[in-house]
Formats: sequence, structure tokens, C-alpha cells
Amino acid sequence: MPKLIRLHDGHAAFANDAYVTVADEDETPASGDVILPLERFRTEGEVLLSNGRNVGVLLASDQAIEDIAQDLTRLSLVALSFPKFRDGRHYTSARLLRERFGYDGEIRAVGEVLREQAVFFVRCGFDAFEPADGSTPEQWMAAAGRFRHVYQRGADDRDPAFIERTQ
Amino acid sequence: MKAIVANRLIDGEVVYWNHGAWKTRFGEAELFEADDAAEAAVAQANVPTQVVDCYLIDVAPEADGYAPTAFRERVKATGPQNHPQHGKQAEGGHDIELIKQAHGIARSAGRHNLIKLKK
Amino acid sequence: MYRYDAIDRAFVEDRAAQFKAQVARRLAGEISEDQFKPLRLMNGLYLQLHAYMLRISIPYGTLSTTQLRKLAWIARTYDKGYGHFTTRQNLQFHWIKLRDVPDILDHLASVEMHALQTSGNCIRNVTSDPRAGATAEEIEDPRVWSELIRQWAALHPEFSFLPRKFKIAVTASPHDRTAARLHDIGLLMRKGREGLGFEVIVGGGMGRTPYVGPTIREFLPAEHLMSYLEAILRIYNRHGRRDNIYKARIKILVAQLGAEEFARQVEAEWEAIDRPSLDLPQAEIERVRAGFAAPAFETLPGRSDAFEAAKAADYALARFARNNVHPHKQPGYAIVDISLKAPGETPGDATGDQMDAIADLADAYSFGEVRVTHEQNLVLAHVKLDDVAAVFAGLKAIGLASANINLVSDIIACPGLDYCALANARAIPIAQDIAVRFANAETAEKIGELKIKISGCINACGHHHVGHIGILGVDKKGEEFYQLSLGGSAAEDAEVGKILGPAVPADKVTDAVDQMIEVYLRERHAGERFIDTYRRVGLVPFKEAVYAEAH
Ligand code: SF4
Repeated sequence: MPKLIRLHDGHAAFANDAYVTVADEDETPASGDVILPLERFRTEGEVLLSNGRNVGVLLASDQAIEDIAQDLTRLSLVALSFPKFRDGRHYTSARLLRERFGYDGEIRAVGEVLREQAVFFVRCGFDAFEPADGSTPEQWMAAAGRFRHVYQRGADDRDPAFIERTQ
Repeated sequence: MKAIVANRLIDGEVVYWNHGAWKTRFGEAELFEADDAAEAAVAQANVPTQVVDCYLIDVAPEADGYAPTAFRERVKATGPQNHPQHGKQAEGGHDIELIKQAHGIARSAGRHNLIKLKK
Repeated sequence: MYRYDAIDRAFVEDRAAQFKAQVARRLAGEISEDQFKPLRLMNGLYLQLHAYMLRISIPYGTLSTTQLRKLAWIARTYDKGYGHFTTRQNLQFHWIKLRDVPDILDHLASVEMHALQTSGNCIRNVTSDPRAGATAEEIEDPRVWSELIRQWAALHPEFSFLPRKFKIAVTASPHDRTAARLHDIGLLMRKGREGLGFEVIVGGGMGRTPYVGPTIREFLPAEHLMSYLEAILRIYNRHGRRDNIYKARIKILVAQLGAEEFARQVEAEWEAIDRPSLDLPQAEIERVRAGFAAPAFETLPGRSDAFEAAKAADYALARFARNNVHPHKQPGYAIVDISLKAPGETPGDATGDQMDAIADLADAYSFGEVRVTHEQNLVLAHVKLDDVAAVFAGLKAIGLASANINLVSDIIACPGLDYCALANARAIPIAQDIAVRFANAETAEKIGELKIKISGCINACGHHHVGHIGILGVDKKGEEFYQLSLGGSAAEDAEVGKILGPAVPADKVTDAVDQMIEVYLRERHAGERFIDTYRRVGLVPFKEAVYAEAH
């Protein structure tokens, strides 16, 4: 299992993962926090939430963020899957979550999550990562902060060059 | 008949496998009669920190020696036609001459496991 | 031209440092070739047949002489003394060693250059008009917007892992010298009542399924360009196909949805997007615009007696003036094309020494600036008419005075099977053979404008789809064959050529071109170019001529 890195106030650290990710073929555990694939969430989510449990949803790379838009206020976590690191769809999903839906829960990158993508993840609004390459929080932050300047607006709070230049 | 070709990781140089070592000329390539021996050698040769794009090629008798069957592999073993002084052809030699004179163009027939390698 | 500020400089330095670390990790075995490949591709580093190839970005095809001299130096120091200018206005070195690349990137950074996003599934180098800032036709210098797009696209966090590569062209002239309608996005500058704007074309492209892109918006106010691009890219990133590499370009998405539905989705996204935060402040647009301010032209008469006298005295100069010299917006100045297509040479290649000599000419006669065209030639954009003869003499001394711009020997050819690992067939020897057959300048001028374009495989780097005559290398039962097409155009009247008939073997290609030219010379009406005659008489007479023997 990859170790979980969480980003908090610009600092990254290994974190204990209280969530259990329920695979399609698994039983949902009787207690504790869970991450459910979208289909499972549709059938089981309501009950789990009404029992007061923390519930996250895992979206496959071809599933749209709009499908959980109604539920976002009740979800403590959204996990976005990168089956291949080349599949960049969920960079958009993360930005939409933060910028359009105002989601402030955890957005976690899972799958082929590599240090080389750290800067893109962070800039698109992800704040939790399961690095598949065994990166440490220090390596992760070094990669995410490699560039002293950025050129575009993202879901993070970095000023793009065109704003920096006015200051 | 088969040989093993690759590009050296550090500089991209085209290299041929010969009993545990990489050689820079086709004329120095180890030739395999049996397919399974060739495939076993590829498994040994394809060390990711040393080479990239490592695969088997077809080789056929040509005059008094051998040449890659595929035109593509012959270009790889010699160099670009527009710059005769660039690539391995610059050194000249019997193996280069042999390849340059080889005929029968067969790009598609020469490269094995292309699909598998491309995945 | 635009000069880097401290932010731009820091950015390319950081990028070079990042790649250095990535190479070190690859060599140490910490990352696999599978993981490294997309990283090196994002830095323009390919593995070809004989070595690595490094593709260096020349944003919108504009180079300072400092940059050109650095490229010449890199060619001599790290390559075999030459470079290859590409159809995307970039420069490729074909004999690069992986271990040298980090140092090369440092050297590039020192002259405000990089190899960022010259490959990979990201937003590529922006194409623009090689006559920008020099032609009277244009509304404004399109490089202003090209540079703004370059910055916006640099390591865009959301759009660095697109379904497939993404190419943008910007032009501000009615004559399109960028092949805008064959790009993923083509931006044609328009002047409306509301000010500057763009006609937005999406979904053109070549390759396996060529399309001339449809217009999805007639007029986009220029100040909203960034938010609108963001909306287009977002629709593509979410909905472009990722299951099949041959269907992953945006042209397929646009074709499948239909231009109208695609436009509707873009507009809906654009409505929802936070435009004020994405669109650039006016001050930033002005800052970049100032970077492209006109050089200090002298006030001169529109006619140069010295030039007229020199032409009258030198027939070769007169020919050069007819074909390679074009009107400039400033009286007394001209735009001078440098052909990299000397018959028998490799199209688009220049040696380091030639690059140095061109840099000297540009310093002496053209405000220290050189342009690269998508037709693999170079341009000195601001030459005084009084100086054209001196430029011509300088070019003659380095073998680059061919007066063949837009003529039969001005052939586009990709590297093909002599270098490229993806090729089916060679392209360079075919181009050389045709150019040598028509090397006679008088014959070539008699034939007039004729654009021949050659690709070594269906990826179409040689733009064969849009050649008046297109030549595509195919692998027919293991042999090099060439499929001919006719009637393509990359200009404002963009069109994809039609296939003439069965592919022909390598030694028949030049004959076939010759036969088609015969048909044209026989059929043409006064003033008609090859393409005009083709459009009037159709494919049949050409086809009959080429395949006559077979009947
Ligand atoms: S068209 Fe094909 S052969 Fe030519 S450079 Fe592109 S990929 Fe290589």
C-alpha cells in the first residue's frame, strides 16, 4: 500500500489513513471511514451517511464530477483515480471541485501517482496523494515547488506571472 | 537467423548484442539460429539502465556474410543516405559494404515484437 | 522581439534543473523508460534510429542572432555540425547524446530558449506568421498573442496530459502562412466594431484523418482569448478519446460531435468559467505588445535606385528578387526569404557555419532578427532595398542563394526513414531527386508556384496532405512505395489533397511529378498556377498521364 501524504497549510507530511477503500468485490466494513466507488456509493452511501460515518467517493478516470455534485456537501473526501499517469482527465475534475463547486474536503490522487506530476496535482487543488513511486513528503514538496514562478491561474493560491508582474 | 539490436541509453548509439556485451557494429553481432535462444538472450540483454528499444531483427545471408533483412534495420546499421559521412557508414568496412549492397527491401518483416514493445 | 524578464528567466532555469534531475534518476534506474519517456518527450527528446533527437522550440519562428549563434554552437559542440528546421518552425538536432542534454538545456536557457513542450501530449510550440511585423497585410503583430499563449501553455497544470498533442497557430494576415486551418486551434485575427478579436477554428489537422478545421466562433474579443482557450482545452481534456491513439486528436472529437455541438459545449463551459481571473490584465497585454514594437526603420523612398541598377546588371539577383524578395510595410524595405532548399541538399538543413553567417547578415541588415517558416526556410524580415544585393552576395557565399521560394524545388520533406524511427520510407532522397531534376531555374520559374510536400509516414510531418502535389511514403509488402495526392493547400484556401491512384515505387516518383507538370503546362490558362489548373480540370488528366503506361 502506498503511504498517504497530506498537504496542510503548504506543508506535506505522511498521514494516517483512517479510510478503508472498498473494492468492488469487498464487503463494506461494519464501522469506520470508507471510500466507495461511485456505483457502490449510489446503493450504499445513503445508509452509511445516515449512520454518521465519514464517506468518500472514488471516481474512475472516465467518471464525471457532475455525477456527485448533489452529494458534495456530505462527502468528506473525493478520490480521483489515475489508472495511468498519462490520463489527465481528473486534473480538470479537481479544479472544478475547488473552483466551481467550492468543495473544501479532501481531494486525493490515487493510482499511478508520481512525483513528476506533483506540481500539477497541487496546482489543480489536490491535497492528498498516494504516491506510487514511494516518494517521501520532502521529495514530494521539492517536486511541487520546483518552479519559482507559474504562468497560469490554478486552484492553488499561487499568483501567476501576469499578477506578479503588476506587484 | 536473428540478431539483437538496441540503442545505448546514455548516448543513443546503435548497438548489437554479442555474448554478454554490446558492440557498435552489425558485423560484430551474435547471430542466433534458434528463436528461443534469441529470445532468451534478449531477456538477458535488455537491461533498462544500459539500453533502450531492445529487440530482435531478422538477418539473412548476403554475398559472403550477413545483413539485416529489413531496410529500416539496414539504415540503422549504416546511417542516413543524405549524409554518407555520418553514422556507422563513416567508418566503412566490409560489413557496411555488404549491408549497403544488400537488396530486397523489407521494413515490416524485420522487427519482431513491435506491437508488444510499443505498448 | 520579446525579451525575457526575471520571471521568464527563472522559469527556464528551473526547467533545465528539473530535467537534469530527471535524467539523473533515469540513469540511476530510479525511474523506468516507460516513466521517463513522457518526461523526455515533454523536453523534445526523442529516440530516433541512430541517436537521440532534440527538438528545440523556436516560439512563433522568431530568433535573435544571439540565439541563432547559440544554436550554431550547439550544432558544432554536441551534434554533427548541422540542424534541421521543421515544419513547426522548430529546430531539430539528430545526433544528440542523452548525457549532454542537461547541459544543452542550460546553454539554451542562457539565451532565453528551451525545448519545453516540443513533443508529448501537451500544448506545443505556437505557430505564427514568418512575416509578422513586416507585412502591410496584417492587423497587428500576431506574435504578441503567440507569446501570451506560449506563457499560458507553459506547464499548464490542467492541460499537460491531454489525450494527444495540441497545436495552435495565430495569424493576422488574410494570406495564411501558418496553415491555421490545419491546426488543433487556428486563430485568425479580425478587426471588428468592438475592437480586435479572433475567428476561432478548431479541429483541423493532418495525419491519418486529415481535416480542414471548422470555424466555431466568428469573432472572439481578443481580451477574452485566454479564458476561451481554457474552455476549449477543458472540453477536449475531458471528452477527447483516450482509448485509441489514432482517434485522440481534437479533430476527431469535433468531427464526431459536429462543429455546432462542439461549439455549444465550449460556449457553455466559457459561460461557467471564471473569466475575470483567467483573462489577462490589459497591462500584461501591453507589456508583451511593447516587446514587439517595430524596430527603428529609416525614412526611405519606396524605390531604391541602387537596387534597381544592381538587378539590371545581374540576372541572378533579378531572379532572386522576383522569387525571394517580398513587399514590406515600410517604404524602402523588403522581406527576404532564405531558401534552405538548394537542389540536392537536405530540405530544411543548415550547418552551424551557415547559421553563423546568417546571423551576421541579420545583424548587418535586418535588426538582428531571423524568422523560420513552416515551409522550412528562413526569413530576414526587415532588409533595406539598398541592402538586398549585399544580402544576396552574402547568401551566395554560403550556398543559400537559391531563388526558388514557392517553386518546384522548394520542397517540404520530413526526415523520413533516414532518421525517424516511425518512418515507412525515405523522404529526403525523393526530395533531392525531384529538386535536382528541376534544378534549372528558368524551367522552375516557367512552371511557377508549385508546392511539393513529402512525408515518410502517415503522421504527415512533411504536410503531404496539403501539398499541391503530396507524396507519402508507404510500406508495400516491405518495399518503399509512394502515394501521390493532388490539390492540397495549406493556405487560406486550405484543402486536403486527393489521392491520385496506386502508390508508385521510389524510382518512379520524379517521373510522375514530371508527367503531372507536363499536364499542367499543356492545360494551363494564362495566369493560372498549378493548383488553379488542377482545380479547373480535375484529377483525371493528371491521373491518365501518370498511369498511362499501366493501361
Ligand atoms: S511523417 Fe512519419 S516519417 Fe516523417 S518525421 Fe513524421 S513520423 Fe517520421
